[in-house]
Amino acid sequence: MADTNTRILIAKTGLDGHWRGASLVSKALRDAGFEVILLGMAKPDEIAQAVVDEDVELLGLSIGGHIDVVERIVESVRQRRPDISIFVGGVVPPWAARKLEAKGVEVYPPGSQLPDIVAAARRLTGLV
Amino acid sequence: MTHDNRQNWVSASGIPLKPYYTSADVPATHRDNVDVPPGAAPYHRGVHPAGYRSKPWRILQLSGFGNPEDINKRIKFLIANGDAAIRMKHDRNTADHLYNVDHPEVLARREDVGQTGAVMQSIRDTELCLDGIPIESSYAHPGGGVVQHAPYALAAYWTVARRRGIELSRLAGTGQSDFFVTYLGCVTKQQIPTAPGLRLNADIMEFCDKHLPKWVPISIAAYNGADSGLNAYQELGALFANAVEYLDEIKRRGSMPIEHAAKACGGVSFRLGMDLFEEASKMRAARMMWRDLLQRRYGITDEKVMSMRIHCVTAGSAMTYQQPLNNIVRGTMMGLAGVLGGIQSLGVSGYDEALSVPSEHAHQISLRIQQILLHETNTAAVTDPLGGSYYVEALTAALVEKGWEFFEQIQNEGGFLATLDSGWLHQRAHENQQTDILGQSSGERVIVGVTDFRNDISPFEVDGFRGVPDAYDVAAARLEEVRRSRSSAAASRALRELETACRGSQNIMPAMLDALDSEVTLGEIGDVYRNVFGDWTAPRITV
Amino acid sequence: MARLLSHIERGQGNGGPIRIPSPDAGSPAFTIGITGAPGAGKSTLLGSLLAHVAQQDVRAAAVAIDPSSPISGGALLGDRVRMQSVSTDPRIFVRSMASRGRAGGVSDMTRAAVRCLHACGWPQVFIETVGSGQVDVDVSTIADVVVVVLNPGAGDEVQVFKAGLMEIADVFVINKADHLGAHVLRSDLNGLIASLPAGQVRPDVLETVATSGQGIGELWESVSENLRQAEQSGELARRRSRRSARELVEVAQAMLKRQIDAATHTAMFADIQSGVVSGDLSVWEAASRLLRAIPMEH
Repeated sequence: MADTNTRILIAKTGLDGHWRGASLVSKALRDAGFEVILLGMAKPDEIAQAVVDEDVELLGLSIGGHIDVVERIVESVRQRRPDISIFVGGVVPPWAARKLEAKGVEVYPPGSQLPDIVAAARRLTGLV
Repeated sequence: MTHDNRQNWVSASGIPLKPYYTSADVPATHRDNVDVPPGAAPYHRGVHPAGYRSKPWRILQLSGFGNPEDINKRIKFLIANGDAAIRMKHDRNTADHLYNVDHPEVLARREDVGQTGAVMQSIRDTELCLDGIPIESSYAHPGGGVVQHAPYALAAYWTVARRRGIELSRLAGTGQSDFFVTYLGCVTKQQIPTAPGLRLNADIMEFCDKHLPKWVPISIAAYNGADSGLNAYQELGALFANAVEYLDEIKRRGSMPIEHAAKACGGVSFRLGMDLFEEASKMRAARMMWRDLLQRRYGITDEKVMSMRIHCVTAGSAMTYQQPLNNIVRGTMMGLAGVLGGIQSLGVSGYDEALSVPSEHAHQISLRIQQILLHETNTAAVTDPLGGSYYVEALTAALVEKGWEFFEQIQNEGGFLATLDSGWLHQRAHENQQTDILGQSSGERVIVGVTDFRNDISPFEVDGFRGVPDAYDVAAARLEEVRRSRSSAAASRALRELETACRGSQNIMPAMLDALDSEVTLGEIGDVYRNVFGDWTAPRITV
Repeated sequence: MARLLSHIERGQGNGGPIRIPSPDAGSPAFTIGITGAPGAGKSTLLGSLLAHVAQQDVRAAAVAIDPSSPISGGALLGDRVRMQSVSTDPRIFVRSMASRGRAGGVSDMTRAAVRCLHACGWPQVFIETVGSGQVDVDVSTIADVVVVVLNPGAGDEVQVFKAGLMEIADVFVINKADHLGAHVLRSDLNGLIASLPAGQVRPDVLETVATSGQGIGELWESVSENLRQAEQSGELARRRSRRSARELVEVAQAMLKRQIDAATHTAMFADIQSGVVSGDLSVWEAASRLLRAIPMEH
């Protein structure tokens, strides 16, 4: 058992509660040894507060809906924790995915395989 | 992995499949059913002998976004094109939770508002939707798929009718109010617990029985169960377990004949998945199981009541993000399964479903898929064309058997609602999801364009829905206006009476109609629910 | 402070470079333990409680402990989601922690975390844990007041665990009190309480419906009253003294264990062990010799 367990926060940005993707990813990360704090559907200020108080190294967002909502969350979080890595998964059209990528956020659309996501988490938290 | 080294030949739900089937594979218990014509018990072959010749399946493509005026425009357009159905889609951010747009949870996501439907916060918004539309001669889907939203959605539509002097008894339409969508599929942040949810649905059934004979009060939509992971026979078992909750509740209340209750929830929704023959067989199995359930458990003998009507939507989750044009084929194949299964109405998912809210282009393609199936493939010519196939009959019988097994498991867990409260059903759905996603990584499960055949020489870029720019502001302004200009005395009084009705045990619909008429807003009704019924605690999915 | 807690979790807070000052003698600080079976509604209850105390302008922190997977070492920490709405209140601090192999989750690390919170201006610290059974008995090693959360229908389990429960529970909460069987559980509990020896303080039995906030005010009253009385009667001081002694023993034991583990690699150890194998030494004699031979480092 690792002495330095890496903590990740997973939150959903929209109000429609598709849990499938976030649930599968959370479990895969847990099975890979991460400590995953589940936030469910949360607002920008709640996510930012959680990122600070839980002192996590990586934020994962389950997204869908308008990209501005996601960008607002990314802004809020980065204001308080500029160092944090962020990756997102969910329904996002290519043009919006590119916008997020340009902001340094990694995007995992539907069809992304779990081993790739887990590998990304390792890389983003410096475990690799 | 490719097709060449596949070892396990099973149906999507895991039923082992033989290389070929013969008459010996049709179980003895089912053999006598094989030659029964469609339209005769046990209805596995269909509820009507003439099938699609007498009435083709209804093309039911739901779409909706924008402001109430946009919904209004769309309805008028469809009516002008010969489609007499009124479809109203509510913005999910507000409707699903019964929040007004000024609720902090909605405000924090203001750009999402209007994407999935129109914001309807008061009777005035509903009137805008229905302005100039002949509701007395239309068939309506006023929305209300979410249990806690259903009374509002139906009451809003009925109140518009009343205000126009139209007798409720003349109105034709259907409600939905489905537990699967928000208690299993897309769990909302807040919602009333399952027990008051059951109460509301039973109230709707009773109210329609008394006042709206042409209205189908609710519709059980196992679609959402399937799309969260339940397989074909689990979908069947869970749907009937849900039906039992309604029927048992009506029986307990003694408020209407059980035949009426059965008829009231005899129109259901299933999902159509990619296993062509299993999905077609599922429909046949469903019709048999419905009849069996009503006869065995409730002693119903009215054959008309025992005929199940099925609406299907193709699996949204089968639509891939990668190479989206492939999804047109998927939609077609899934639609075909439904047609071969003899369903009454069909919705085909948009090819861009995995990327955004469906575009107009995707919507049109889905419509064309249905029109091609109907007019070019000759599949409407013969009812139950798969009947007599050794494979399909064996599969139908197997799904019935396993469906009942799952149904019994649910009963042993305390019933459908208990399995939602405890998370047992979520666990079953999740297990299948796990197996599926692991199968994708291991190569056992092939998804073209995703796990294999990823090379794309001509990428088709989906533009994706760009959002409705002013939906939030328009809704916020309208909310202000309603508050400012309504009679606050009347609204307060109606709200208090609604609260009293919620706390008591009388039928909630009269008070709900009154509240709508007195211009009480959606969020205020939601607050009463939260106050009186409290919040459902979504189960945690363990291990 | 969040970063400090992370340091503590990584084991860098004990005897390490970071010294955590004891809270001011003048500012009272309390630890309230909340335990009960999974599904009892502890997180929702705690969320309601935090909202309630925040309204009274009390600063409160919550540490929610969930079990780590024994297979992967990872964990799903799903308590915060039920306390979300109150987590952005400046008077409230919520932290999720994985048990990291410690049964029940309460350990020297948790104690250090609690001290840190007290020192940083959080006078009320709630610890939410779940044990391997119905109740985490270890929570009594960290809490001034222990609240045990049960659901209607738990009567049988209560009978089984009654000894453990009765020893540590200061307050019983029947959550989901609107469910069938609440009154049955209440009489079961009352029966057990009545059979306690005279003179022993009787735990309160309360009913709540956490999802609607019902009974939360009374719960806080009961907890506050328990703390007040314990302070007055000297019981609080006695418990803290017992806990402190126990903590001292545990830390010492941990240090000793580390020394012994380190010694197993030495030639001295191999030497002593061969004496046992050859029959020259009994294992008891060998152990005494080992202990005398280990250099003590502090």
